[in-house]
Amino acid sequence: MGSEGSAAVAQPATTEVVRLEDVHKRFGDNHVLDGVDLTVDSQQVFVVIGPSGSGKSTLLRCINLLEPIQQGRIFFEGEEITRKGANASAIRQRIGIVFQQFNLFPHLKAIDNVTLAARRVKKMPRGKANERARELLGKVGLEEKAASFPHQLSGGQQQRVAIARALMMEPQLMLFDEVTSALDPELVGEVLVVMRDLAQSGMTMVVVTHEMQFAREVGDRLVFMDEGRIVEEGKPADVLSNPREERTRQFLRRSLQLAPLEDLSIEEGGNE
Amino acid sequence: MSVLASFDWSYIWERREVLAEGLKVTFELAAIGIAGAFVVGLLLGAARAYRIPVISQLAGIYVELIRNTPILVQIFLIAYGLPKATKSLQFEFFTVACVALVLWGGAFNTENFRAGFEAVPKRYNEAALALGFGRIRTFLNISLPIGGRIALPSSINTYISVFKNTALMTAISVEELTNVAKQSIDLDFRTWEMIAVLAVTYLTLVWTLSALIRLLERRLALPEER
Ligand SMILES: Nc1ncnc2c1ncn2[C@@H]1O[C@H](COP(=O)(O)OP(=O)(O)O)[C@@H](O)[C@H]1O
Ligand SMILES: [Mg+2]
Repeated sequence: MGSEGSAAVAQPATTEVVRLEDVHKRFGDNHVLDGVDLTVDSQQVFVVIGPSGSGKSTLLRCINLLEPIQQGRIFFEGEEITRKGANASAIRQRIGIVFQQFNLFPHLKAIDNVTLAARRVKKMPRGKANERARELLGKVGLEEKAASFPHQLSGGQQQRVAIARALMMEPQLMLFDEVTSALDPELVGEVLVVMRDLAQSGMTMVVVTHEMQFAREVGDRLVFMDEGRIVEEGKPADVLSNPREERTRQFLRRSLQLAPLEDLSIEEGGNE
Repeated sequence: MSVLASFDWSYIWERREVLAEGLKVTFELAAIGIAGAFVVGLLLGAARAYRIPVISQLAGIYVELIRNTPILVQIFLIAYGLPKATKSLQFEFFTVACVALVLWGGAFNTENFRAGFEAVPKRYNEAALALGFGRIRTFLNISLPIGGRIALPSSINTYISVFKNTALMTAISVEELTNVAKQSIDLDFRTWEMIAVLAVTYLTLVWTLSALIRLLERRLALPEER
């Protein structure tokens, strides 16, 4: 259902944004990524599911060069970013990431959290940065929270500021690492709606999540990871409804159902 | 009773100019000592926290030396030992006092800032790196403002100690407040008058300084702790 909708948007441009070739990552003896191959196309919502400890976060952190890999190659927009001498800071500016724990800078107001990197890294003038940040905060339904400090915001609001902060750098790719897992259940929806809207606007996204409903409705492609390997890959509806692998089946049996997205709105989030 | 009976207010008034002169020197020493302790603590604290090779190890030795010897010994070492070791140099005692205060406060402040920087959760640095900040920009924009605020309460205590330590410079004849008061005692035996002056002055100043700094601290603290 929903997947056809976003697939239609994804049709015109199918250039590849990210490609992993036989990526291996070890922490000591712990083989956390064990030969991962995957390709994410432009405007695609690429969903990653899997049990805790299967290497999902590590996968995102490797794509964003927060972790070095021991073997294999990662390409971003045609450029091998794992090569020696690649400019990590420049590459990271083009890849946004949103973390499970929000990680908003505690000493800065919401709007300054959003503008800091643009001002200090891209040297954008403060006036212009503030203007753009207000637009983005509006987009995530938090215009009137611009002057609030992170601790004055709910988890859902903090996470939406974190999304605006990442978008401020105008990334070509957004990575989401279980961004609703730390939230109270009633705050999950407001964040998922923002992500759905972002997907519909054509953003290329890799989304690690346990929200199966979201995966099914917004995802274009889905992989199931276990023990550092991609066990199964396909259209979200196919994998979720008819998993081929026993391990996928087991995992899905244990996962929970959540409210359908249509019932959720971000309206109430702003004035809490 | 006899103390009160013989207490001579006019003597304090008589000595007001000398005492004011001493107080001025005390202020100068404290200002230089605190500013120096701030700079030394910030730089070496960062070197310690981020394990900058060589500097970090040297800073570690420096901190151990200062923290585990009496400050009076340090003052004598700088005043008498250093000119001997360097043969020619004879430092002015005011300079010696400044150096001693900066070295002492700097050592304690190195630890304060090291602990502050180390207490900055790694995830904030990662969030900054992920936004495209380089290492130095991450330090300046994230670790420094957050870690500096975490270090604030303990470094304030160091600054107050530096202020009180100025009185020790009596030992090398720097004409600060304690020393001029002591000279008056030696000269005119007006012990109680001068001790009263010292007690009241230091109490007032340290209280005021503390209050001012706590005010600053409240304004600078991380928003969630205000
Ligand atoms: N910085 C690290 N140092 C050592 N081991 C790590 C580190 N980060 C993750 N790991 C290990 O890698 C494995 C995968 O972790 P992670 O990618 O966080 O899994 P997931 O996100 O799927 O729960 C786990 O066994 C974890 O203990
Ligand atoms: Mg994880």
